[in-house]
Amino acid sequence: MPAGHGLRSRTRDSFSRPFRKKGYIALTTYLRTYKIGDYVDVKVNGAVHKGMPHKFYHGRTGGVWNVTKRAIGVEINKQVGNRIIRKRIHVRVEHVMPSRCNEEFKLRKKKNDELKAAAKARGEIISTKRQPEGPKPGFMVEGASVPPWRLLLPSLAML
Amino acid sequence: MAFVKTQKTKAYFKRYQVKFKRRRQGKTDYRARIRLINQDKNKYNTPKYRFVVRFTNKDIVAQIISATIAGDIVMASAYAHELPRYGLEVGLTNYAAAYCTGLLLARRVLKKLEMDGEYEGQVEATGEDYQVEPSETRRPFRALLDVGLIRTTTGNRVFGALKGALDGGLDIPHSDKRFAGFSKDGKQLEAEVHRKYIFGGHVANYMRQVEEDEPEKYQTHFSEYIKKGIDADSMEALYKKVHAAIRAEPSPVKSTKQPPKEHKRYNLKKLTYEERRAKLLERLNALNSSGGADDDDDDE
Repeated sequence: MPAGHGLRSRTRDSFSRPFRKKGYIALTTYLRTYKIGDYVDVKVNGAVHKGMPHKFYHGRTGGVWNVTKRAIGVEINKQVGNRIIRKRIHVRVEHVMPSRCNEEFKLRKKKNDELKAAAKARGEIISTKRQPEGPKPGFMVEGASVPPWRLLLPSLAML
Repeated sequence: MAFVKTQKTKAYFKRYQVKFKRRRQGKTDYRARIRLINQDKNKYNTPKYRFVVRFTNKDIVAQIISATIAGDIVMASAYAHELPRYGLEVGLTNYAAAYCTGLLLARRVLKKLEMDGEYEGQVEATGEDYQVEPSETRRPFRALLDVGLIRTTTGNRVFGALKGALDGGLDIPHSDKRFAGFSKDGKQLEAEVHRKYIFGGHVANYMRQVEEDEPEKYQTHFSEYIKKGIDADSMEALYKKVHAAIRAEPSPVKSTKQPPKEHKRYNLKKLTYEERRAKLLERLNALNSSGGADDDDDDE
């Protein structure tokens, strides 16, 4: 008999609970609150059968667009053919974790606001733009010893 | 030593998954806890309060608790060992005392939230099922009963505490099926019987019976009652007075004891490597010197 293509086909490992983490779910998953606009990661918890997303969405990240009693609406991009569709799914909170994808951005935003406020107080204009890492400065190689046979190489003949 | 096949191999330990700590300690029922704490996501950070009742061998703990990720926060608490302040000094873990503790907690919470004028609850305890009526301005304080790990049988003292909190003015969803005095045959709560329990009538009856049948047992079993001058007939009046005192002054009294400057140590302090080595050397030397001085082993 050929393998089927049901909803949960090929999910034997991805939906299974990790080693020695089976059983009751820790309470923090239920205590977290999500607001519209937050980013969340979708990670299926195989112990809870209700409100499971389709296996495609396992590991995807999207923004919250709706909050209901026990579930959250997440908007995830899915490539269908030659275009990307914004898919809106509803997922129970057990299958969702807050995403850290924009954590660095939020921290930077906060820091920049503080820097700008401090600069304004001082009366100077600063740029809070991020600069890319430039080329590394030159340096002397200290204490490096070259085995004698390598000195025979033409490139190191100058040493 | 006979060879015994090891039951718990290394593989067993490698694969063993420990239960949650509080489950290992046998203190928390996580199945119930998940369902009690889970708040609707579209209510965001609105706290969901649990009315927690726990019984120890000599005390009753009643608390209003809300859960956060950092830990549970106790909003108000009442203990049976506070009841001597209101005039009840014996029988601190019976049904009547549970009623008093629940009542004390309810009045305390309402006073803290300044709702005690609005929600008097049922001042005269009649034992019949009473549900708080929402007043015009504010909705009543809602909490969910958390019994913990006890078996919810009819007439359990937890429901005594529940009744106390209800009469105190809290809004706790419940049914009267488990109150003392609910008859399975009649399928309804007999308010008279429940009222008897609330005022310690069951204890009074037992006191009368034992006093008649076995006076010596009465002297030993109810010695504290006798010392305080409480007898079977004065119980109801005593509890009435306690209820009134609770309603008059529910606020908690902060204890004036200073916390001890040095924290008392309850477990042995871990020895350092040098200390352990020194101890071992001492032991070995003592062994060798007592068992004959053949080999003085100074090595561990």
